[in-house]
Amino acid sequence: MAHTSVVGKSLPRIDVHDKVTGKAEFPITFQLPRMLHGKIVRSPYSHAKIISIDTTEAERLPGVKAVVTAMDTPKIPLGVLYCDRDAFPVDLRVRYVGDPVAAVAAETEAIAENASDLVKVEYEELPAVFDTEEAFGTDPPAVVHPDHASYEYRADRAGMQRRIDPQRPNVCHHFQIRKGDVDKGFHEADLIVEDKYFTPRIQHCQLEPCVSVAWFEANGTLRLKTSAQGAQVTKSTMCEAFNLSPSKVRVECQYIGGAFGGKGRNITEPYAVLLSMKAGGRPVRVCLTREEHFHSGRSRVPVVTYIKDGVKKDGTIIAREFKILVDMGAYADSAIMISRNAAFGTFGCYNTANFKLDSYGVYTNTPLSAPFRGFGSAETIWAVENQMDVIAGKLGLDPVGIRKKNILKEGDRDACGQIVRGIGLEECLDRVEKWIKWKKPSSQEGIWKVGKGIALGNKFTQAGFPSSAMVKVYPDGSIEVLHSSHEIGMGVDTVVAQIAAESFGIGVDHVRVVSGDTGVCPYGFAPVSSRETFHMGNAVLGACEDAKKQLCEIAADMLDAPIELLEVKDRKIYVKGHPEKMLNIFELFRPPGVGYALTKCEVLGKFSYQVPGIPEDPETGQSERIAASYSFGAHAVEVAVDVETGEVRLLKSAACYDAGTPINPKMCEAQIEGGTAMAIGAALYEEMLINDKGDLLNPNFRDYKIPTAEDIPNNADIVSMLAPAPHPDGPFGSKGIGEIVTIPAPPAISNAIYNAVGIRIKTLPITSEKILKALKGYSKEVE
Amino acid sequence: MKKLMEFNINGDLYQLAVEPNLTLLEVLWEELGLTGTKMGCNQGDCGACTVLLDGMAVCSCLILAAATEQKEIITIEGMDADSRLHPIQQAFIDYHAVQCGYCTPGMIMSAKALIDKNPDPTENDVKRAIQGNLCRCTGYVKIVDAILASEETMKE
Repeated sequence: MAHTSVVGKSLPRIDVHDKVTGKAEFPITFQLPRMLHGKIVRSPYSHAKIISIDTTEAERLPGVKAVVTAMDTPKIPLGVLYCDRDAFPVDLRVRYVGDPVAAVAAETEAIAENASDLVKVEYEELPAVFDTEEAFGTDPPAVVHPDHASYEYRADRAGMQRRIDPQRPNVCHHFQIRKGDVDKGFHEADLIVEDKYFTPRIQHCQLEPCVSVAWFEANGTLRLKTSAQGAQVTKSTMCEAFNLSPSKVRVECQYIGGAFGGKGRNITEPYAVLLSMKAGGRPVRVCLTREEHFHSGRSRVPVVTYIKDGVKKDGTIIAREFKILVDMGAYADSAIMISRNAAFGTFGCYNTANFKLDSYGVYTNTPLSAPFRGFGSAETIWAVENQMDVIAGKLGLDPVGIRKKNILKEGDRDACGQIVRGIGLEECLDRVEKWIKWKKPSSQEGIWKVGKGIALGNKFTQAGFPSSAMVKVYPDGSIEVLHSSHEIGMGVDTVVAQIAAESFGIGVDHVRVVSGDTGVCPYGFAPVSSRETFHMGNAVLGACEDAKKQLCEIAADMLDAPIELLEVKDRKIYVKGHPEKMLNIFELFRPPGVGYALTKCEVLGKFSYQVPGIPEDPETGQSERIAASYSFGAHAVEVAVDVETGEVRLLKSAACYDAGTPINPKMCEAQIEGGTAMAIGAALYEEMLINDKGDLLNPNFRDYKIPTAEDIPNNADIVSMLAPAPHPDGPFGSKGIGEIVTIPAPPAISNAIYNAVGIRIKTLPITSEKILKALKGYSKEVE
Repeated sequence: MKKLMEFNINGDLYQLAVEPNLTLLEVLWEELGLTGTKMGCNQGDCGACTVLLDGMAVCSCLILAAATEQKEIITIEGMDADSRLHPIQQAFIDYHAVQCGYCTPGMIMSAKALIDKNPDPTENDVKRAIQGNLCRCTGYVKIVDAILASEETMKE
């Protein structure tokens, strides 16, 4: 990498002062005069027909200002990449416990809540299906979307080709990969290993619940303050849903209290807008309670993974076959892509000559599905990385050795046909192996049995989506970057500031960043898919180049020098090789340092960056470029298992990730630590429990446990490392890190538990109860 | 019916007419516009709404405002008095202990309650003190580092 002075430094985040003082404005604290409070009326049934809705009593309640229902509302389409959901179901069929059927707005939250209780809805209950495999059948107990074949499909922009299975009415997507000849591979193998793994529905548990405030200005402009993950995509969805001109919609979401994939649009926004329309444009705030956020926010898709491997005695995997069922819940929208992208986890770390995969998106009458940090890869890698240890055990090989034997290397062609560039996976493995002292047996302590485990992981960043930036130069030479993403906690504003400062040769204190406001920022896709450092970084660099070129065009005449010889640095313009010939940027403005830019009015650089991607072959899944970039990593852990209670304690955690060249190393480290904690929760505690009526049994933080500070190893025993393999297309060689950091830890923990007590639990989470049952021989779920 | 109440918040005295069923968090947000304190669950489970009540870290979503009369309340807005950051706030900046920032105010208040009572805490003391403050972004590592470091700064 070229020498840099701002990029690569662990500067404090530019938003941090606002956040430690409590001054940062989150959408949940936003208030306006005369603001009404909205409440959504939800279905108590998992699958039913709405027969009638009576709002008479609700409307009679003093203080109620608007009531809207599924009966009197026209179709309000909410799809982004796949259109299977409307604000209210136009076929009057509810599909999960919590499906919206009406909404009310009132002067206070208490009145709105009372009014929502007074809306009388009559239902006719229908048979429902909750189990993914039952729903997948050719004759399922219920069909969730009888007409889904006719729904509009837009994921082709991501290279995804729609396939459905006419024999299986709940399958909304079928993706397949065919490479080589798996039957021949299995025939030639010395060992066949087959198994089934499961990851349950879990919740993102962002600390800020979903919320939005909508109102209309006197000129008809819709204003929307929201906690949505993706201001620009929310705007385009609202334009389409309510048939509004893009010039008449402004969406703002500067700071969001966590997203992790689960704050895709349309949880609160369409209802706030609809109620505001009905209330004459008055501001309406819709904020989910924590319980609502659990059952009717979005959550991670359950995934069933069948895996079959053909292996040679030396550990070479010569054939690998998968069947994957991705539970879409009641509605999929953009999550339909998980039924393809889950496949990326199955081949992203290993080179396998013969490969076959079938992955299905399956509807059930369970909560809304969503992307969740990893977009399917964590779920399938749970299977792959357990399986690698099972194979090693059967062949008497070292788990690290078998991984190295099959590991994907720079320049290899992966199972879907891409040539992999910028892969630091093997170095990640080496470094965690060394830190955890892999060969040294763990010391044992009484009832606590101690063991080590290791796992790899990968995450693809999707091609086919743009990021945009604009750079405005102020008359004092400071700059303002307006970009299409926004700050959901990952640090994009700081990354943007560092990259722009580097390009202009100034400090970040001369860079102002504006994001999360569609009124002034350019269009780009949402902050998802670990995409912003890579995509936005390139967009910012392009916009900076454009702005610098404009400055040089003005300066060329004044300096009487050819434009190619000019360079911008330290808020000045220099003639290369002639340090005495220079201009301060303020001299390009009239009046100097105050006014307009000579000959240009404004110096405004612009750039949009997108990796086009190549559509996959629908029969073989092959594409030369389906991912914009890849991140990789390895995680090694040491755990202790109490053989009397089944309790698991994480003693040590060593993680190493390749996210390309880090723009801000401490921020990358912070991502790894946060991802590790989230992975501990997914591995040991977290599952949304749904009963036989489709009701969620644990919709709060008492019954649904996420890790606290006391569940994390001591600071001396947790290490986060980076093994940068610079990406040739990344800004300064960088790429994403947001999602990969959650992926390898759960199987590493599982492998360590097996190493400690000889028990392998294949269904997450690995609770004490499951371990104890297995230890006592009551459970079949033991290898 | 509203009742006239008197509150001592961050050293300022407020006389407010308040519905007796309002929580302290509701009064902070709706009556005073002190929105630095956050709401994560309204059930006392997540700690985002932590404030100090006579020096003790409490969930402001669980306490009726009426029960806090005659008591000293400190919120995040009271931490950087005289426009200088409190050493805990500075340490959260220096140690990269903030991501989305939503749990941060509550976390800082719990840290202050600890350090005011126990000026020389161990790592385990710190973890115990913030175990009621959920954070989904950071994995707590840098938060623990920051709190331990701020205690060092305050000694100096």
